[in-house]
Amino acid sequence: MDSQTILQLRQEMIREGVLFYYCGYVTEQVLSVLGETVMDKLELDNTERPVARGVFSVFVEQVQNIIRYSAENQEGQVGERPVDLRHCMLAVGRDPAGLYVMSANAIKNRDVERLRSGLVHIHALDRTGLKAMHKEILRGETPTGSKGAGVGFVDIARLASRGFEFHFLALDDELSYFILKAHL
Amino acid sequence: MENIHIEPTKRSPAIDFDFDSGNFSIAGESYPEDVNKFFGPLISQLKEYLSAAQGATIQFRFDLIYFNSTTAKIVMGLFEILDEAAAAGNTVNILWSFAADDSNMEELGEEFSEDLEHAKFVMTPKE
Repeated sequence: MDSQTILQLRQEMIREGVLFYYCGYVTEQVLSVLGETVMDKLELDNTERPVARGVFSVFVEQVQNIIRYSAENQEGQVGERPVDLRHCMLAVGRDPAGLYVMSANAIKNRDVERLRSGLVHIHALDRTGLKAMHKEILRGETPTGSKGAGVGFVDIARLASRGFEFHFLALDDELSYFILKAHL
Repeated sequence: MENIHIEPTKRSPAIDFDFDSGNFSIAGESYPEDVNKFFGPLISQLKEYLSAAQGATIQFRFDLIYFNSTTAKIVMGLFEILDEAAAAGNTVNILWSFAADDSNMEELGEEFSEDLEHAKFVMTPKE
């Protein structure tokens, strides 16, 4: 990557209000450090505690989803240690109305419709509906193996006080880019 | 049964299970890498204790700052087994402590307690 590209990227991020940006592989260890850094940044910015907690919660759910499901991954052994790296882009930023948490990761094209319909369903629910669905899933009344209705997405929807949006962009014959942006 | 005390980490809560006195608490943050690995052994010991308890007074305190969605399933399961212990004739008090400005944690406490039929439930906002 040349120096001009790096400068352009930096300027783009500033223009988009990005406070925190990560692009690369994540693991549980990376999540620990990123989560703490996001919290520290929000704290230093004197973010209201409930908002900061919401941002942190959404961030953790998004990263844990990626660790489990990102289709852009690399598995193998490093010495005796099994390694599973999952690629993603993450950003926490500020717009005039508040904060947002964005995640992007590859998923298999064949999973797009299932995930999309799950999210469309969650997106249409009001607070009461979200609460009911949350409970149904926790009770095990909804198949949890299905990505489309994971409790993590219901949690994100509950926490996103200004709503959430999602997009699926085709990458190639096999993969699509799944972008989830929660507004708090 | 041997009492359990686990120190908190950044990602897992402090655990105090005092089987002798019937006082139990889970406090702090909970988004462990492997939720079942962390909570599995604790829940099986708790179940063993509860199934043998007769006329006991049990106090279970949740004092959580943050927990992720997979931990939420564990919490829901704990409420269920505690309510069963109360149905079996034990006195069970569940305390839900939360930061006063944390409406999400308050809402979750309300949600978990909705199905309780026998156990007593108390919410305590903390300043």
